[in-house]
Amino acid sequence: MKLNNYTQNVGMRMIVIQIVAFILLSLLGVRLYFLQIVQGDYWSGRAENQRVRLIPIPAPRGAILDRNGKILVDSRPTYNVVLSNEPLKTIDVSERVPEYARGLNLEPDFVAERLSLIKKQNDFETMVLKESATMQDIAWVESHNLEFPELRIELQPQRTYPHGKMLAHVVGYVGEISPKQLESDTYKAKGLRPGDIIGKNGLEQSYDEFLRGRPGYRKVLVDSRGRVQSEIEVVQPQAGQDLISTIDLDLQISAEQQLEASATKRGALVALDPNNGEILALASAPSYDPNVFTQGSKTPEGRRQIAAYWQDEKRPLYNRAIQGQYPPGSTWKIPESLGALQQGVITVKNSNLACGGGITIGNKFTRCMGSHGSPPLSYAITKSCDGYYYRLALKMKIEGLIEMIETFDFDKRTGIDIPNEKVSQTPKSWKPIVEKREGRWSDIRTVYASIGQDTVVVTPISLLRAVASIGVKGKMYVPHLMKEFKPIGAMGEEGSQSYFAGRPGFGFDRPEPKLIPMTPEQEEVMVKGMWGVVQPGGTAGASAIAGFDIAGKTGTAQVAALGKDVGAKKDHAWFVSFAPAFKPEIAIIALIENVGFGGSHAAPAAKGVYETYIATRYGGVPPAGASIEPKLIAKR
Amino acid sequence: MVAIIEKRDLRDFDWLTTILAISIAGFGVWQIHNALPHESIWTKQIVGIGIALFAFVLIVFSDYRRIIDIAPFFYGFGLLLLALVLTPLGVEVNGQQAWLKLPVIGQFQPSEFAKIPTVLMLARYFGQKKGGALTIRETLIGAAILAGPVGLIMLEPDAGQAITYFPMLAAALFLSGIKIRYVILATVTAALLIPAAWIVGVKTGKIKTYQQERINAIIDPESVDPRGYGYHTVQSVITVGKGGLSGIQGDSQTSQSVLKFLPEPQTDFIFAVTAENTGFIGCISLLLAYALLLSRMIAGAREANERPATLAIMCFATAMVFQIFMNVGMALGVLPVIGVPLPLMSAGLSALLTTFCAIGFVVSIRMRRFVN
Repeated sequence: MKLNNYTQNVGMRMIVIQIVAFILLSLLGVRLYFLQIVQGDYWSGRAENQRVRLIPIPAPRGAILDRNGKILVDSRPTYNVVLSNEPLKTIDVSERVPEYARGLNLEPDFVAERLSLIKKQNDFETMVLKESATMQDIAWVESHNLEFPELRIELQPQRTYPHGKMLAHVVGYVGEISPKQLESDTYKAKGLRPGDIIGKNGLEQSYDEFLRGRPGYRKVLVDSRGRVQSEIEVVQPQAGQDLISTIDLDLQISAEQQLEASATKRGALVALDPNNGEILALASAPSYDPNVFTQGSKTPEGRRQIAAYWQDEKRPLYNRAIQGQYPPGSTWKIPESLGALQQGVITVKNSNLACGGGITIGNKFTRCMGSHGSPPLSYAITKSCDGYYYRLALKMKIEGLIEMIETFDFDKRTGIDIPNEKVSQTPKSWKPIVEKREGRWSDIRTVYASIGQDTVVVTPISLLRAVASIGVKGKMYVPHLMKEFKPIGAMGEEGSQSYFAGRPGFGFDRPEPKLIPMTPEQEEVMVKGMWGVVQPGGTAGASAIAGFDIAGKTGTAQVAALGKDVGAKKDHAWFVSFAPAFKPEIAIIALIENVGFGGSHAAPAAKGVYETYIATRYGGVPPAGASIEPKLIAKR
Repeated sequence: MVAIIEKRDLRDFDWLTTILAISIAGFGVWQIHNALPHESIWTKQIVGIGIALFAFVLIVFSDYRRIIDIAPFFYGFGLLLLALVLTPLGVEVNGQQAWLKLPVIGQFQPSEFAKIPTVLMLARYFGQKKGGALTIRETLIGAAILAGPVGLIMLEPDAGQAITYFPMLAAALFLSGIKIRYVILATVTAALLIPAAWIVGVKTGKIKTYQQERINAIIDPESVDPRGYGYHTVQSVITVGKGGLSGIQGDSQTSQSVLKFLPEPQTDFIFAVTAENTGFIGCISLLLAYALLLSRMIAGAREANERPATLAIMCFATAMVFQIFMNVGMALGVLPVIGVPLPLMSAGLSALLTTFCAIGFVVSIRMRRFVN
């Protein structure tokens, strides 16, 4: 060894270098042991989490059909441009705005908004950038695959409402779940995720749970930019259940046409089967197009349209049939009369009260529209004698009116199976307020309440429900739009993770009526009075249909002060009815806002729907027994 | 320069070192294939090994003494290439002008090649030293030799490459009689100064945010933005840890590099690829192979009959250990992300050629140990 020739012990120093080298390599070995052996499983899991992604496959929503199987709402497949946030996390998205806007023909502001939204979401979330993509859009996305890996095309079922504005208030619409809804307990429990489509109004909302299918998913392998490399597993979605509604499309069309043909084109028309509460038609005008909400909420034009709906003074989004609260005017006399009979204030044999052409309370005279002498109940109904009811209500006292209100559930919602129903406001709710404010409940308020004014405002649906019960021995059904849900079969193999159990069909959950106590004699006198309304000489005599007796009651509800029924503040016209009068199959309420007299505006609208009913149900010929000779009535 | 191949030469040829180096390089080809199975980089690497072996043979059968004698010429040539990188002939990649593109030869990285003349220059200078403790003058001249290439590399700028030059000087000084107290003093000073410099640097803003992030990524990789500067470190650690005991054995379907989670898998993070595919067993085997190769090199240095030869081998060996530690430490998330290739493993002709040249010197020196 020549090394010793040199000073400073070079040999030892080389050994030192070698030892240091080995120590360094050993340290690496220790670290390797720690990462691979001790923590191996943990890192393995981390790696799997970042490369395996579940892409939901949206389930087709159940269709909504009318009672005869005609399609009311359906889903059709559309191509959407979907934005996933993962490749966007590390880049400045502002550069993307003009690119997307140009490529997909979108407004830059909207693109910027969507991009900032998706950036805020959790990892691996996706969001629809453009719905119903055109072939050009699809080609553009495909050809920019490398440049914009965050964009992809997905085939998604799109809810469509083929009847547009018609039925909007019945079926509602669907939309992306809002962040607020996601936080709420109702939706949280159902395991919904951002971007999921839920029902947002009408039947879509009420029966969302059943209409909404169970989404499947694609388990895929992705690279670091979120691009799908291969498919590991596919779990097919389970479609939602089909809903057979109680709607009769022909009657619905007729109802909508009647409202459309009315002078103000504002109002509500509801037809139901008094024997079970099934709603055959429910129209509220003006209406809106649900397609705007489902397809348009992601486009600037769609948003403008939605904003226009909200700002429209005519309130198209407002379902007048269940949310509108209107003074019922003389239609109120029907439940009031029965209440008086039940309470014994009048009897079937002795129901005569003076008309007097009006009544004087204190120094104020409130007039009747005519001079009816001292009519019995049925005649008072037929002629809509206000004077009779002023006196009847004073005899019942406000307590009696309130008892009647409770009997007919005017202090509650009817329980109709679409959301946002309003409760009627009546003396029951007003009395404590009035007494607090004015010190007492004055007789004049009772007088006004007797003709459905002042402290009485009701929803059309609650009034129809109450009146319809009179022809069917007091059976007051919950009005409903859901007839039946079709069953759906199980998906996947039982016991496997991807198994979806089948779901059985079912019917409406509250089919039992509330029973209004009523004797056959009381029913007869009531129906007789209402029958007379739609006979020559009655307030709706012009709306009679030969061979098909209608029992009804008109109402003309004041909006402005007495006698000033002009312009926009004209009276609301009402007509509430059922037919055939002595064996009802269908009950109809019509309300036309601010047009004037009920007998000349609302009753003809109802008549139009009755005619459609006869035409579609009986081929235009009223069934035998749907009309009774006037003489027979007189004998009864 | 081609020496006559004599029987005696072949008898003393260091087959073990040569086979070890080729085996590690071959293992590297496999890992490059695992990293990017759909690209042809691994075949290029095989061609690279062929070229490197040709250079290796040339050097083995040349007389290293003559080469060391004309070291200043190589050194000057190395500096010229490094200077050319900074001219328009240089190619900029990722903000670093570290490549030189020449007609016919193609594109290469002079900062790799310049290691050879730098080591030879150091060996030549310190090899003439006759004895006694290291003087300040000698230290300064050594530093000046290093300053040439390091200065030019810092202009590229490529701090990672520049750092790999310092162990060469450190080894040369250490083996040239630097007093142990200075070594201890330097170690202690470094241990104190580095944290102090860090704190001052952060406070005064001299250390830029991204540089801080890279360090923070080591100290606590989970708390830094996993998509930002900590991303490489976190992904590398995931890749290594995922390998477990025996690795995924080339299952490219789910590999971190094929799915592009692991950046630069064929070069800077080739060790993470190795760890993922061959697991703890493969990694430890690789580290043992390196340890064996280094032992052979140091043994060669010990047996060399001349001081410049010893110094040259030790400089190469020290630089190699340092590079292995830097690269693997980065892959294991204990050192910051600095682009240093893993000797013999990382894809790239420049680094491969340089390493085989260095090992060529070792084999050449070993073969001539009895000649004098």
